[in-house]
Amino acid sequence: MFKAQLPPTRVIARRLYSSRATQALYSCTRSSVRHPTTSHSTSCRTVGRNLIFSRGYAEPASGKFSRAKPHLNIGTIGHVDHGKTTLTAAITRVLAETGGAQFTDYSQIDKAPEEKARGITINSAHVEYESANRHYGHIDCPGHADYIKNMITGAAQMDGAIIVVSATDGQMPQTREHLLLARQVGIKKLVVFINKVDMIADKEMLDLVDMEMRDLLATYNFDGENTPIILGSALAALEGRDPEIGATKIQELIQACDEWLEIPPRDLDKPFLLPIEDVFSISGRGTVATGRVERGICNKGEEIEILGLGTKIKSVLTGIEAFHKELDRGEAGDNMGALLRGIKREQLKRGQVIIAPGSMKAVKKFQAQIYVLTKDEGGRYTPFMANYTPQLFIRTADISTRLSWPEGTADAEEKMVMPGDNVEMVCTLHNDVAGEVGSRFTLREGGKTIGTGIITKVLETA
Amino acid sequence: MFAARRLATNAPSAAARLYSTAPPVKPSVKLIAELRKVTDGVSLTKAREALAASNNDLQAALKWLDTDRAATGAARVAKLADRHAGEGLVGVQVLSPGARPGAAGAVRAAMVELNCETDFVARNELFGKLLADIAHTAAFLAEPAQGARFIQPVSCDALNEAPLLDHLNPQAASASHATVASAVRDLVTKVGEKITLRRVAAVARDPFPAQQRHLGLRVFPFLHGSVALPTNGTKGTLALLALKSPQLPELITSEEFQKRLAALQRSLGRTIVGFPTTGVRSLDGERDPDALYSQPTDMFMDKQGSNVEEELRFWAQKHGLAGEGAEDGGIEVLEFAKWSVGESLEGN
Repeated sequence: MFKAQLPPTRVIARRLYSSRATQALYSCTRSSVRHPTTSHSTSCRTVGRNLIFSRGYAEPASGKFSRAKPHLNIGTIGHVDHGKTTLTAAITRVLAETGGAQFTDYSQIDKAPEEKARGITINSAHVEYESANRHYGHIDCPGHADYIKNMITGAAQMDGAIIVVSATDGQMPQTREHLLLARQVGIKKLVVFINKVDMIADKEMLDLVDMEMRDLLATYNFDGENTPIILGSALAALEGRDPEIGATKIQELIQACDEWLEIPPRDLDKPFLLPIEDVFSISGRGTVATGRVERGICNKGEEIEILGLGTKIKSVLTGIEAFHKELDRGEAGDNMGALLRGIKREQLKRGQVIIAPGSMKAVKKFQAQIYVLTKDEGGRYTPFMANYTPQLFIRTADISTRLSWPEGTADAEEKMVMPGDNVEMVCTLHNDVAGEVGSRFTLREGGKTIGTGIITKVLETA
Repeated sequence: MFAARRLATNAPSAAARLYSTAPPVKPSVKLIAELRKVTDGVSLTKAREALAASNNDLQAALKWLDTDRAATGAARVAKLADRHAGEGLVGVQVLSPGARPGAAGAVRAAMVELNCETDFVARNELFGKLLADIAHTAAFLAEPAQGARFIQPVSCDALNEAPLLDHLNPQAASASHATVASAVRDLVTKVGEKITLRRVAAVARDPFPAQQRHLGLRVFPFLHGSVALPTNGTKGTLALLALKSPQLPELITSEEFQKRLAALQRSLGRTIVGFPTTGVRSLDGERDPDALYSQPTDMFMDKQGSNVEEELRFWAQKHGLAGEGAEDGGIEVLEFAKWSVGESLEGN
């Protein structure tokens, strides 16, 4: 097991790229640095450790961030007996032949201890593989509530999913619940693997499974017609027999993932965003805002916008400074100072953001998916109801917010939220702040982190 | 048991054997699809077997499936026996809540925990319906207890043998005359997960005789973490209130009073489930931080008191149960049972 957690240097190096490329992991580590809360530090420790490793090994070798292969987090969802683990093992075996993975056998995947103690309920840490043009991080999705929690806290994330269905059973009553989960967490595209086809001799029967799956996908608003459905046998691939239903089909599956599942945009490709951490005025030069670039690239001389906390002004970036040196360009990950034309020190505050003009809006009210930390995770030990008003921390901002239930919730007055719950609630902010769908935040009260959340819908902008 | 199984499966297995050499009837794929649409959770192979055995007759195939489920269900359950079922739901059904207008005031309710392996299955409607049915059955069969405690544990084995009642339509006997155990088995064959009836508690009390009309009992549920059915959740409680007042017979006929009482029950339910409560009141004069009566009143809608005990006193005065002296009337929580899915059972 230990071996599996310490993959060869090459793989570790790749993890650096991948964690840079996935915003989720990245912003998660960063926010844990900024708000050292129990939830974040626990859920991010795995990632953090990898980063530290990779820094040690990768930097002298490659120097600068290389964009070798785009990264995608993928998850398997399916009934317990339909062969998710076998499929995962089979994928690593088949891809190991071309050097794209390290073979992880069934028992290693199945018996890997869930990191429950750290609040990570999904053992996602150690299966990864790469196809000809992508790098995949693979997780198994054992339960609905577990996955939602891990998604919100940033411990695990699926950008795409493989639904595993056995050909002998076909879809089962809970397959609906699997698809609903995928929908709820924002997965728009799936790949279906129909497993154990060697147990069914009749071609027509297999067509039926295929047809039923397409029907069901369409029912839950997935593209039933075009979703790739691969029929194969994971066990055959794992045992290295019958390549026509084994290894070949696994390769087909990976190819389908490559072609069908979409890569989320990488941090560098997104519009520029610098959360302001501190403001200085330097005599003779002007006002400088410092912070760490969350995403995107900025160039000296470009127009930018300052947004949040009641402010919305445009200015020009007259200088970029990092490591006590003047730069022409700043990019995601840089700790930089931005010299702004015609801006007074009083106009800037920690909590505002500097962005590419028009790329974000300041929000006042939004709907969010929130996980409420348990007492053991350092959160509250008592429940709360609507109109609870904790502090909301988003990037460098700290704003009080009122929590209420979305419109149309039955008995909204009387609904209770308990520590450990995943809930969808509306946050009404006291001040506006730059935010968008997918932005993460934490909720704190009296020096305690009581919850963490992701914006799912913007309801009101400033 | 073995002999019985062999008898029951004899026909289909013979058919299957025949099929492997020279298929007498080729099951039509259309019918297989149809069959799977009609009945939730029939595996493809079973649907095909059923049609092959019944000559492509849909009705006969449905019957075949029923007998097959009875025959092979036990084997399926046995196969899954050593797996861990730690997810699931708690369900409460109240058949008669006690003191209310126009009824005798008997109390009858039950709480049941049903476990499965993943919460995907727990969220499925088949699971939710089965749980509600079992809870309804348990409440229906509860014997009025004469002991000191109102809420009594019920043996799962005894309940397993009982005929299952439909919680939506209890008059109609379950179509297949299924028992609780066989209904659980059926669901196991449909979802392929281990499902176990973990614990059952019920409360039943006959109404007070006419000379004790100043007394009343109320039983109420509270469930947290419901998905589809509001009577099922991941955490639940079943609690009992006692009301006493010379005016009680008039009060309980008032619609307004009933509404207020229901609101109070929800507040109490939230407090019981939401706070780490272990008992109703502190014992032996010592202040027990986990007693319901010492909990804060955060979960009450228009609170007056600083803890639940005060709140109940205020409530009784405000709603005409108690006069100036506390002697002649009041309201109190008698007991409650509080369960959360998958928690370890200690002591009880």
